[in-house]
Amino acid sequence: MALLCSSSTVILPSSSVKPSGSDRRSPFLGLSLTAISNPSVRVGINGNAKRGLQVKCEAEQATTSLVPANQRWMFDEEEANGPDIWNTTWYPKASDHVNTDKPWFVVDATDKILGRLASTIANHIRGKNLASYTPSVDMGAFVIVVNAEKVAVSGKKRNQKLYRRHSGRPGGMTVETFDQLQQRIPERIIEHAVRGMLPKGRLGRALFNHLKVYKGPEHPHEAQKPLDLPIRDKRIQLQK
Amino acid sequence: MTRIKRGYIARRRRTKLRLFASSFRGAHSRLTRTMTQQRIRALVSAHRDRGKRKRDFRRLWITRINAVIHETGVFYSYNRFIHNLYKKQLLLNRKILAQIALLNRSCLYTISNEIKK
Repeated sequence: MALLCSSSTVILPSSSVKPSGSDRRSPFLGLSLTAISNPSVRVGINGNAKRGLQVKCEAEQATTSLVPANQRWMFDEEEANGPDIWNTTWYPKASDHVNTDKPWFVVDATDKILGRLASTIANHIRGKNLASYTPSVDMGAFVIVVNAEKVAVSGKKRNQKLYRRHSGRPGGMTVETFDQLQQRIPERIIEHAVRGMLPKGRLGRALFNHLKVYKGPEHPHEAQKPLDLPIRDKRIQLQK
Repeated sequence: MTRIKRGYIARRRRTKLRLFASSFRGAHSRLTRTMTQQRIRALVSAHRDRGKRKRDFRRLWITRINAVIHETGVFYSYNRFIHNLYKKQLLLNRKILAQIALLNRSCLYTISNEIKK
């Protein structure tokens, strides 16, 4: 098989083609002579007839650019000569998702509806509010939830919503209601809700570690300077 | 009938197979019979995913555009944005829109403001 690059040396067996474009006889090996008649190609016919077709590419291709000449005014100089950033979909490099550079957010869960709060949190942790969202990479932010024991639910869910877990052994199912769990371990309610909304898998488990839930109004992450989580849902606050 | 050995025919075929499966994990790059099976599975996956690739990328572009458009206005979303695009007969495709959303955010805001009018 023959490869042609725009500036290359093509060595053909001596029994065939004459040099560039001088005649238009039948193509050799399926190569049309118009391809070889490119002025930058040098055809060398030498005594290595038995070695067959060889192609050597020269290192002169750095000056060709993907941008045609009449559109170069639209680009900055370093973009015009560099790789094509517009036609290849952006994928994050390792430096784009370093954990130390990710933003931190704080939410106060007092009197917020559980599911709506968990949904917003999960969106921010996964990174779905960013233009740089990538499903295979952790691009999201860290979220801190405080006052977890004051989270609210509507209707009769406070006494009727059941949390089940199973130890694996027969007869090992434990059932608790919402308020029993809130007395015992209030952080688990929000963690359970958010975990159900994050993807399940290795990445999902890693994302879950970006959620920090605390019982009282204090949290130990002041050094990360967390911002307030922007909430767009209007019905997230419990109507009294 | 005289005895005929098959010679090197099978070995030549299996060397090509070995080259194909040379980057597979564990026994899938060492044992001939597993290599044939895994090669078939690899080619099937590649064939199927060439079609899926087009779908997957379009999904990714739509999600990225949606993320940026939601921040633009209160009740504004991807579907309304695309509807406005079509009404104004703007032919930008989702790939370029997603790249603009990432690389040149202000340009996308200009586009969406122009379309909303």
